[in-house]
Amino acid sequence: MYKRIFFAFTALLLSVSLWAQTGGVRGTIVNRSGRVPVAGASIELSEGNEIVVRGTSGSDGRFLFEGIDDGIYGMSVKAEGFVPAHVNVTVEKGFVKDMMFVSLVAARNVVEADDSSFAEFDMDDSGYSDTPSILFSNDVYTDIVGFGFSAIRFKNRGYNSETQDVYLSGVKMNDAITGYSPYSLWSGLNEATRSKETTVGNEASDYGAGGYNGVTNILATPSSVRPGWRFSALTNSAMYRLRLMATYASGELDNGWSYAFNVSARVGGNDWVKGVYYRNFAYYAGVEKKFSDVHRLSLVAFAAPGQRGAQNASTQEVYDLMGDNMYNSNWGYQNGKMRNARVRKTHEPVFVLKYTATPTENLEASATILYRTGKNGYTALDWYDAPDPRPDYYRNLPSYFYNPNPDYDRNDAFKAGWAKEAWLSDWNSTCHLNWDRLYNVNYNNQVLQSDGTYLNRSKYAIEERRVDQNDVNAAANVKWTVNNWFTLAGGANFKWNRTEYYKKLDDLLGGDYYLNIDQFAERDFASSPTMIQNDLDYFLEHGDAERVGRGGKYGYDYYAHIRNAGVWANGIFTHGGLTANVALEAGYTGFWREGLLRKGLFAGLDDNGNEIYYEGRKLTSYDSYGNVISSKGDSEKAEFFTYSAKVGASYVFQGGHRLYANAGYYTDAPTFSQSFISPRTRNTLIAGLETSKTVSADINYSYSNNGYDLRVSGFWTKIMNQTDLMSFYDDSQNSFTNFAMTGIDQRHLGLELGFRIPFFLNGLSLQGALSLGEYIYTSTPRMTQTIDNSAAVVFENQPVTYWKEHPVYKKSMVDGVETYEVDLAGNYLVDKKQKHYVPSTPQIASSLAFNYRTNSYWFFTVEGQCFANSYLDMNPLYRTDMAVAGPDGIATPVEIEYMAAQEKFDPVFLLNASVGKSWYIKRKYNFGFSLNVNNILNKTNVRTGGYEQTRLIDSKSGERYYRFDPRYFYMSGVNYMLNLYFRF
Amino acid sequence: MKIIYKIFVAAALLLSALACEEFTPVFTGKYPEPGEYEKVTMTPTHTIAQLVAMYKGAAKVIEEDIIIGGKVSTSDRSGNFYRSFYIQDETGGIEIKIGKTGLYNDYKPGQTVYVKCGGLTLGMYGYKSGNNGGSGMIQLGLEDPEGEYQTSYMDVAEIIDRHVFRGEFGDPVVPQVISASDLPGKNDTQATNRYIGSLVTLKGLKYANEVFALLYVDSNKDTKLSSNRVFLSDETHGITTWAMSKNKYKEYLSAGLWDDVKLGNGNDQNYGTVADNKEQLMNNPGAYSVSQYFTMGGSEIQIRTSGYSRFADTEIDPDVLAGTKTIDVTGVITMYQGSIQFTLLDITDVKVND
Repeated sequence: MYKRIFFAFTALLLSVSLWAQTGGVRGTIVNRSGRVPVAGASIELSEGNEIVVRGTSGSDGRFLFEGIDDGIYGMSVKAEGFVPAHVNVTVEKGFVKDMMFVSLVAARNVVEADDSSFAEFDMDDSGYSDTPSILFSNDVYTDIVGFGFSAIRFKNRGYNSETQDVYLSGVKMNDAITGYSPYSLWSGLNEATRSKETTVGNEASDYGAGGYNGVTNILATPSSVRPGWRFSALTNSAMYRLRLMATYASGELDNGWSYAFNVSARVGGNDWVKGVYYRNFAYYAGVEKKFSDVHRLSLVAFAAPGQRGAQNASTQEVYDLMGDNMYNSNWGYQNGKMRNARVRKTHEPVFVLKYTATPTENLEASATILYRTGKNGYTALDWYDAPDPRPDYYRNLPSYFYNPNPDYDRNDAFKAGWAKEAWLSDWNSTCHLNWDRLYNVNYNNQVLQSDGTYLNRSKYAIEERRVDQNDVNAAANVKWTVNNWFTLAGGANFKWNRTEYYKKLDDLLGGDYYLNIDQFAERDFASSPTMIQNDLDYFLEHGDAERVGRGGKYGYDYYAHIRNAGVWANGIFTHGGLTANVALEAGYTGFWREGLLRKGLFAGLDDNGNEIYYEGRKLTSYDSYGNVISSKGDSEKAEFFTYSAKVGASYVFQGGHRLYANAGYYTDAPTFSQSFISPRTRNTLIAGLETSKTVSADINYSYSNNGYDLRVSGFWTKIMNQTDLMSFYDDSQNSFTNFAMTGIDQRHLGLELGFRIPFFLNGLSLQGALSLGEYIYTSTPRMTQTIDNSAAVVFENQPVTYWKEHPVYKKSMVDGVETYEVDLAGNYLVDKKQKHYVPSTPQIASSLAFNYRTNSYWFFTVEGQCFANSYLDMNPLYRTDMAVAGPDGIATPVEIEYMAAQEKFDPVFLLNASVGKSWYIKRKYNFGFSLNVNNILNKTNVRTGGYEQTRLIDSKSGERYYRFDPRYFYMSGVNYMLNLYFRF
Repeated sequence: MKIIYKIFVAAALLLSALACEEFTPVFTGKYPEPGEYEKVTMTPTHTIAQLVAMYKGAAKVIEEDIIIGGKVSTSDRSGNFYRSFYIQDETGGIEIKIGKTGLYNDYKPGQTVYVKCGGLTLGMYGYKSGNNGGSGMIQLGLEDPEGEYQTSYMDVAEIIDRHVFRGEFGDPVVPQVISASDLPGKNDTQATNRYIGSLVTLKGLKYANEVFALLYVDSNKDTKLSSNRVFLSDETHGITTWAMSKNKYKEYLSAGLWDDVKLGNGNDQNYGTVADNKEQLMNNPGAYSVSQYFTMGGSEIQIRTSGYSRFADTEIDPDVLAGTKTIDVTGVITMYQGSIQFTLLDITDVKVND
């Protein structure tokens, strides 16, 4: 039966209770994420301002108050490491009221870090992108892995960022266009967004049924911000120099109001990567009012405006020439000042209006309206008919002139020597962008205008690629505790999104204007005045392309329209220590492109539906099915119905043991960003778009007691039918092409272990985490390749033969020469099939750390980390029959093993340490510091990611292709972070 | 408490000071515009005529500290010149094989350019043995380690910058109008005819109903193989443009104009006709240069245009093709194995006479 722990009555109450009908209250205090019992929570029942009874929860989280009069009570629960909770309880007719679970939200003192630890890398059009895979919870495993593995760019269970559902105030915030989790919207607002609730893997949440990579809900309401003042100053050597932050929260005042604000600034560069800098600010303000005990209304606004310089990946050849794996090719000196060409500029405010109602103690409902708007820009160099200005352009490198393999036909060692010399001596700014030259080219490019004057037409300019979202969300959630064995949670949500994509002229670099024509179209259609127009309507009206000034829109301009709607429900059944749940979700996703410009290449029909002619020549073009290819106006609408179902069961044993398992089936709509063949230029959708399907299951055991924490999980996930899309210059076609890949399947299998155990000394503990996985590709996807300029199909629905694996052939030594073995018929013998892996995360990751905490608030940590089995992102072109076989069309074992192979990164061992101390003064003021030193062994050769280039090199023999070198990102060497804080 | 507060403030100020230091190297405000490049002035030691006279029939690495100077006379803006430009002084002109694209951005037509020739190589393109050390074009570039050509491009920025210097801007070179008698003979070089390599205007050219173009069945394969080659020569083959871009090539090919042309070099023509290999030809389209033949006086002039030039697909006036009208052209006279090849700077250099 229920174990009763401490409880105390006042003498008065005891005597009163003799006359009145008395009942009681009982329940279990659990951690909201994971429903792990919370032991030692302090519980108070109060009536008005008077405390009626106090008690604490037992080691299994349970509590019981008996002898309580009928009436309505306020119950408050406090526990170390959790946000205090307050609920109302009604005791009636002398029954003992069973509260079932009272869940607490973790309020961890998380390690100081923010999304900027995931430095924004410049991945260009590699099709590669990633955002942090941070998990927040007080689960022991995710505690260690969440931030501890971020430097290596660890992805939880190998999943992409978009699989992680991130909610804010109950609204799903994953980007409408890409699905990525949008941490950058609130980066720098660590205090205001600290309170979070998290589920892991396939677990359902109170905000949505969720997917297979957990749900994180950031509360972000003023009442959830830790009350009081807090100031902090942080300096570090791997991201930005300084962060200053101030926070104030009122807590809930007697009149029901609470308010909070949080502001911060992050500025400066770092010690490792030159040209990277921050000039980021952040603000948060919120106000909340509680009306009676039933209604609660909050209004919050926040944003993280600012700009930051990006880093670029280079080839190993360049890093070696520079003697520096942190080399960044994005910047150069302008009048002695470092200037970065690639700058992320954002200001995307978010407004949240949330209403919560608790009309009865067993019913909790909330509704949220969230609006996101503003601008999001990313600058880059743009140039027209002028040499590529990037210092690490392949023709500037020694390898372009000399390769020891004669089949490359690069035999000029003299030029290679001079090219190397130029890098070593930084001859005329060889190693960095030469801004002086770019300006001088523009200064000297005087062009006679029709009015007889001369203006400088910029050949080089800085463009800003804008992705400006307008995103309106509405979400409503209800949680109804029907009876003592059944709870129903459910909700509905709707999203309206219109995102404008366009280019804005950021800087003319000393020129007067930039001409709005498509230089890539010009390569193929130089003699056509109409085909090269980015804005054909402007040309037809004015007889010339637009001369764009600073701040003007040019290039492309289109809307992405997205509509999402969904309903979900989660039924939770409880019986004793057993909990089971069934969650269902159904959704609709629709999107379309609306071109705002008529592009010369794809003129389409005019606004009246007629074909367009220019000087007797028809501009309207058709695809092979006879459909008009259009750039302006609405595209066909892509619509998808999705659903998911998941079940879970959990059993809590006596003494802190918990065994639980979850399984789910999910369908997900492709995102807008994966669905249009060439959204910059035309309205064409990828043919045969389908939802992706995922089956996932996990089984877990956890133990939490007496300072011991343990979790072991096994998971298996199969993701099917994914789509990917990229655009690149294909040397075999001598054209810029679009490459759509469908039917990508992958399988994720793995084991997770996290533990924390007291270790001999009081205050000393040993903690560790292990993630052991195998994440592989399991299908042969199909690809369709089209020419960007003409929409002509190069390959249609062809297999990407070497995507999931490639054969490795048997070899033997014949007369001292390694030779491929053949059978009697002359066929090569396959030794094994080499699997290809899901890239950009270590598939084996582990950490072991000693923590020591003293009673005087010192703490010390020493941590060792090991990472292995990390793979480079694969470019599908290199896995096609065309690229593997080469121009002669014959795929030999040498070619297959060379072209299809996937690079595996070296394993790595890292050592980190931290120290910190807090001082409390008069129990009111709190001052402290923490210092982390990471990568103490100063390893500067740790690859964290990168990508293969899509270019091919012809061979002299004409029998095969060679690859371009891949580009890599490296982890910073030894770096520190010092944080000082002051709180009262 | 106050001490703690002071310590905190002091520490925060210290950190701020550290951070401010970052603003000097990583400046994020408005960047001051860089100044204009300083113009180099040098005194040439040799005229271009003196330099080209040093060529004696084989590639020659120049060891002396020779400086030449001249105005840039060509532009690669239209794409008909590619990776190089000509400079000319009062004595003649020579091609400087730079090796970069978009050169007109950095070397403006009319701008004076000085070349320090020490370490560079004089060599001939389109070499054919002749009385004056060969009949082709003498160029200035680098030694070709392969020996395939007599010179190679400089290519490397540091090599270029150590040899080629930008001087003052100036008015573009004024083309000289020359008569038929000024035209070079088949043994002439820049050393013997100062108009070779110079910007000139030729007047009254008459169409000669002949083209020359070399096509490849598959340019990814060995382009020297006889079976991979198609010669269009001796007649017009229906080509009415100055050259052909990839798209124009496909247009011509699918129109069947060349269906009867046999594949192969010279007498080695046992590989079928264009019609027999149509599919492969269509699947491997390319842009091709075309020589359009004209006559001026008694001399034959091939106007050779690159398939990558912007005006490649420009139609030649039908009246010109019909022989009822003549043209005046401005460009550079070059020699290829004793023949005159005329290179247009741009299509605006062609004037049709009424």
